[in-house]
Amino acid sequence: MHGSSEAASAVLFGLNPMWVAAILFALTYVVVMTEKINRAIVSLLAAGLMIVLGILNQETAIRGIDFNTIGLLIGMMVIVAITRQSGIFQFLAIWATKKVDARPWGILVTISLVTAVTSALLDNVTTVLLVVPVTLLITEELKVKPYPYLFAMIFSSNIGGTATLIGDPPNIMIGSATGLTFNDFAYNLTPVVIAILAVTLIPIYFIWGRHLRATPEDCQRVMQFNEHDAITDRRLLKQCLLVIGLVVAGFVFARFLGLEAATVALTGAALLLLLANFGHDAEHQSKHVLEAFNEVEWITIFFFVGLFIVVHGVDGTGLLKLLADKMLALTGGDLTATAMVILWSSAILSAIIDNIPFVATMIPLIKAMAPTFGGPEGLLPLWWALALGACLGGNGTLIGASANLVVAGFAERAGQPIRFVQYTLIAFPIMLLSIVISMGYLYWRYL
Amino acid sequence: MKAKLIMNPHPMTLRPTDTVATAADRILKHHLRHLPVVDEQGRYLGTFSVYSLLKLTLPKAVLDKHGLHNVSFVTENVEDLAQRLGGRRDEPVKNWLNIHEVAHPDTPAMEVMLLMLHGRTTSVPVVNKTSGRLEGIISFWDVLEKLIGENP
Repeated sequence: MHGSSEAASAVLFGLNPMWVAAILFALTYVVVMTEKINRAIVSLLAAGLMIVLGILNQETAIRGIDFNTIGLLIGMMVIVAITRQSGIFQFLAIWATKKVDARPWGILVTISLVTAVTSALLDNVTTVLLVVPVTLLITEELKVKPYPYLFAMIFSSNIGGTATLIGDPPNIMIGSATGLTFNDFAYNLTPVVIAILAVTLIPIYFIWGRHLRATPEDCQRVMQFNEHDAITDRRLLKQCLLVIGLVVAGFVFARFLGLEAATVALTGAALLLLLANFGHDAEHQSKHVLEAFNEVEWITIFFFVGLFIVVHGVDGTGLLKLLADKMLALTGGDLTATAMVILWSSAILSAIIDNIPFVATMIPLIKAMAPTFGGPEGLLPLWWALALGACLGGNGTLIGASANLVVAGFAERAGQPIRFVQYTLIAFPIMLLSIVISMGYLYWRYL
Repeated sequence: MKAKLIMNPHPMTLRPTDTVATAADRILKHHLRHLPVVDEQGRYLGTFSVYSLLKLTLPKAVLDKHGLHNVSFVTENVEDLAQRLGGRRDEPVKNWLNIHEVAHPDTPAMEVMLLMLHGRTTSVPVVNKTSGRLEGIISFWDVLEKLIGENP
């Protein structure tokens, strides 16, 4: 990397900044993909080089950072950090299990639903981090293989996350860049997400579900779990549910209130911090506020910051406009063809590479297509295609989304590893199935 | 005072292939908390302890470091727990070892005591630095005896 950046700085003197930016951008992608260097370091370093090499100055670089995305992410992370302490996730998983009398296939369905719904409202990684352990305990008690459950949880987490503005980082970025609201996402994506989740369970049933068996005694033991004892702090739980309710209401009425998503999330976070710390002494408050802030995934946040600057630098040189024109030339400026290219390419690429940099790049690229399709309004089908492709594509391989890796980590430690190839062989076709459904939906509703 | 002067040079040991049942028997019979496990050359591999037995009694899902911190919702009774332990009695001990910090024959007494405090253990294996062989074991009682027993 060092050698190349020296080459780039030589190029800068008198040569095309588009090339310098393009090389820096490509290098960022490649180095992030190799995972040899932490992705936050890579993106911040690349952002710094964008400025040092003169593609951007600091002022324009900062303008490239989408603080609405950053604020929304941080706000939701703080809310989740506090909420997870209440035990609500374990409560939901046990409650869902008992609703179906602890029957193995029933549990798979209800836990998938719980995972999908919580992933739609909160961050996917946190959801699986909190639901997987209790699921492993339940499968261990039932003496059934955890693999099908973990597989279904990866899918339901990524599928559920697709449903809302706040469910998955690609949606947060798209919403923030386009002004599409929480309601727009719910109205346009939730219906197809429900269909996809239902259809995804069919192959899972035929591959594993119909073979799952547990003895009545083992089911009985799980039925004796008392979900109310999973709640560790009732007062905190009530506060969390109140704030999450207010935040969701804030998202729903955001346009009416004239508020942006980051304002809603960060104000919600501040309110929850206030409620949870109210009446405690200063030392206790400092400790708890610090704990909540420490739970924010700063690697992700700084990765975003650097990435926004890098993409802004590339965008400023006109490279993305050029790529957009190339893509339009390829599709003949036809909306249907363009939407399909975006849907399929984002699905397949998101299965292999991190969907965050991909979406960060696609956003300015799609925006540049506005004149061809009659202004920003005409781009709507393309945004939905990007959201569906980028979020659902993450199911395709074990490295497609961070939630997948978290589940794999648990599986590994539980002595039931999820192998990359074995996973991909089944997951990739099921992911493609979800994209076929999305294709039909886009075609039927928008094209 | 060095570790080699405090240690018990003939501790009871296990082989990695010994079963959990064998280990549990010895722990119960001799009221030991820690049994060092050594290979055929006498090299220290780890320690099977009462904590290993506790782990064997619990579901794997609750042992994960990112796992459940509160399991008060599980209503298993002693029979359920005993059944789980019973189901694992023929497993070799090598799957359930704790790797403790070890002392060397020349480690000073104070360092040994600090190892006990920080490692939250009541016994420290004494291992030869070059060969990796187990030379002895220092229990909390050995230390106490030296501290109090010999200076009345």
